[in-house]
Amino acid sequence: MIEELRNKVKELFASKRVDVVLGYQRAVDGVSAKPLFIYNQEDAERLVWDSYCVYNLACYLKELAGKKVGIIAKACDVKSIAVLLQENQWKSQDLFVIEVEEVKPSAPADKYESVRKLEAKSASERLKFWEEEFSRCIRCYACRQVCPMCYCPRCVADQSMPAWFSRANSLKGNLSWNVTRAMHLAGRCIDCGECERACPVGIPLRDLNKKIEKDVKELFNYEAGSSVEQKPLLSCFDKNDPTDFIK
Amino acid sequence: MEDIYLSNLAEIVDIKKETPDVKTVRLKFKDGKIRDSFDYKPGQFVEFSVFNEGEAPFCISNSPTRKSEGIECSIKKMGKVTQAAHELDIGDTVGIRGPYGNGFPMEELKNKNLLFVAGGIGLAPLRSLINYCMDNRADFKSITIVNGARTSKDLVYKDEYPKWEKAKDTKLHLTVDCQEDNWTCMVGVVPRILETIRPTCKDAVTIVCGPPVMIRYTMPVLLKIGFCAEDIFTTLEMKMKCGLGKCGRCNIGPLYICKEGPVFTYARLEALKYEF
Amino acid sequence: MSKKFMERIIGREELIRVIEGLLGNFQVVGPRELPGKGVFYQPMKNARDIYLGGGFTIEPVKKFFLSPSECFFEQKRNESGEFLEEAPLAGDKRIIIGARSCEARGLTLLDKVFDSDYKDSFYINNRKRTTLIGISCDSPDKDCFCTSMGGSPTEGRGMDALIFEIGDQFIIEVISDKGSDIFGSAGSELNEEQKKLWESDKKKRKEALSRKVAVPDGLDKAFGSPYWERASSACLSCGVCTYLCPTCHCFDLVDEERKRLRCYDGCAFADFTLHASGENPRPTKKERYRQRAYHKFDYFKKNFGENLCVGCGRCIRHCPVKIDIADIVANAPLDKES
Repeated sequence: MIEELRNKVKELFASKRVDVVLGYQRAVDGVSAKPLFIYNQEDAERLVWDSYCVYNLACYLKELAGKKVGIIAKACDVKSIAVLLQENQWKSQDLFVIEVEEVKPSAPADKYESVRKLEAKSASERLKFWEEEFSRCIRCYACRQVCPMCYCPRCVADQSMPAWFSRANSLKGNLSWNVTRAMHLAGRCIDCGECERACPVGIPLRDLNKKIEKDVKELFNYEAGSSVEQKPLLSCFDKNDPTDFIK
Repeated sequence: MEDIYLSNLAEIVDIKKETPDVKTVRLKFKDGKIRDSFDYKPGQFVEFSVFNEGEAPFCISNSPTRKSEGIECSIKKMGKVTQAAHELDIGDTVGIRGPYGNGFPMEELKNKNLLFVAGGIGLAPLRSLINYCMDNRADFKSITIVNGARTSKDLVYKDEYPKWEKAKDTKLHLTVDCQEDNWTCMVGVVPRILETIRPTCKDAVTIVCGPPVMIRYTMPVLLKIGFCAEDIFTTLEMKMKCGLGKCGRCNIGPLYICKEGPVFTYARLEALKYEF
Repeated sequence: MSKKFMERIIGREELIRVIEGLLGNFQVVGPRELPGKGVFYQPMKNARDIYLGGGFTIEPVKKFFLSPSECFFEQKRNESGEFLEEAPLAGDKRIIIGARSCEARGLTLLDKVFDSDYKDSFYINNRKRTTLIGISCDSPDKDCFCTSMGGSPTEGRGMDALIFEIGDQFIIEVISDKGSDIFGSAGSELNEEQKKLWESDKKKRKEALSRKVAVPDGLDKAFGSPYWERASSACLSCGVCTYLCPTCHCFDLVDEERKRLRCYDGCAFADFTLHASGENPRPTKKERYRQRAYHKFDYFKKNFGENLCVGCGRCIRHCPVKIDIADIVANAPLDKES
């Protein structure tokens, strides 16, 4: 299987269809994996594929604009690529997606189980929960950098004229940042889980995004990244959109 | 222990519009003790606070020999702090921390022929040095000033030019990039003008300040004219925040521009194995 | 008589009693495992919570000395006009129990920046008002390399006392007057047999470090190499490595709500050196990652004689894409051809 993958990548270079291919290599510890930027056929020999290849490589697409890029993509990585194509961030002729099957643990019966647990809390209990989690946020922005959909050239958190959030890691600043990011991902997050994995202090970021994902499904019957032809939810208008929340 | 991050309050006593996007602000410290004791070398800078907007580094553009009038900073409108600085009025309060930086090595300039080469707002740190020389004229030999800007509207400190032209053994050459109506001085970019004028390199030191592209093309011309790299001084511009060599932003290699600079010789910069 | 560098041996129950005595009178902070999340410095409520596990805190003890964000002054107004109200220096004493030798040694490197010229009164006040008690590591993980950076799991630089758990006893190395105030008369002096036991214990702890890293001399020869582009390709330009590093100290000064704040910042961020004009001397990850590697293993060494790294392994352990700076620097090409 790995040989097939390596050969596919080598072929992309041989036919000069790519400038770079995003894949995985063995990490320095010899056991886990880390991202690999493949620039030629020789580099392709370092490619690996196993359960350690957790990274969603689509997060690197934001910095490769203008290049022809090959990318090894798992099922949810493909969904994030679909969203990027829907949002005109890439032209499909410049992107070569090599889909790979991953051996996934069986999905939980209810994918919104942890969201429902939070919904069952009272508003003040829920606020206390998130305040406790976000008190640990160190504003490293790993969640943003690892997210394929966070591609704004100048993130709202980095703007100074005006400055939208407090730069300090006060609870107020942390809540502003994390909640705003979740809102900016509404209808776009495909739950690859990278943000939560990247967070060094163990904040359950997926629960925040999944709550919005659940609301989006219930309000608009919409699931992000299901196809390239799908229209982005919040940048399009449909006359059948619910309006009962407009009072 | 002194609080190294605390600004000293200063009041704006004068604002002069030099160009459409440059204002020179003159300040006096509110605290009389600081007003009397504040001293600096030409080429040093201060961290200028527009409270609630932020803090930014500006060189002190008037000579320390004239500090009784106050200290002057020339501010080009670029970003958050400079934009806010342009909204200030006479009587407003700002903060000043400093002076920081190494300044020009005055001893090495004494008894030398001096060539000042400036582009645009780059004349700001040089004005402090030029006027210091004017006020201590006997300590220096001939002075040649080459000052260029994109257009005549972008030339700063126009009120200084007649005074410099009249000074003893001093020549002023002004230039703009392209010919304009009613423009009687030279036309051409600064490096080209230098080649035309060919100022003396004998017993001479040159001080260059301007946008990076100007400096890049001026250095080889100076070497061609005969200046040694050790006798070419420039003041570097990097993004500086703390001014104290701590925040990690302005370094080139192991040198913090805010501490070991911003004044460097071309020789020292070339010897750095680190590009910038 | 110098009270420094004495050792005491103390049983578990007495150690608990000593700590209980502290809890009543001071703020006490120590590592605590939050299930599913990791080990964090938390206020200690119970002396029996003293952390003797093998895990490493995610955030280093640095944040108690160089605060992630703090206010320097606030702009205020009274009848006489505007004035700046300086933020008061915190007065309350604080005790941290459970730091590791690596992160404590990081403080001695930060001292060179914040307690040398232009003394930082906020940092220095935190150093003064805090008693730092360490616990010696006995289970380094694959990412630790303190012994390659001039440190070891048994040294107490930067600390006031260092605790060694040996069987059901604790040997305490008292390092300073502050440490002596707490442990100076605890337990008893070591006898010869106990001293021998301690020496062999220290040896074992040092030998447990399996990872060795050789940082090359003359790293500046590799500055222009295209190596740094490949080395940095996977970098996300986030702040994890910087903020979790016991020695990183880059910061930003910002004005918010009439306050002048200092906040952590990092050379990895894309806009760290972005000028208002739009120019950026470090425009891509190559320049930024190279800056990080060189600041730590070249520039700081040139200015202060030591690498700006204590080999704690946090950057490697927590990098979301498993970038290993030690491996990258150790393999930097010093010959001109590469």
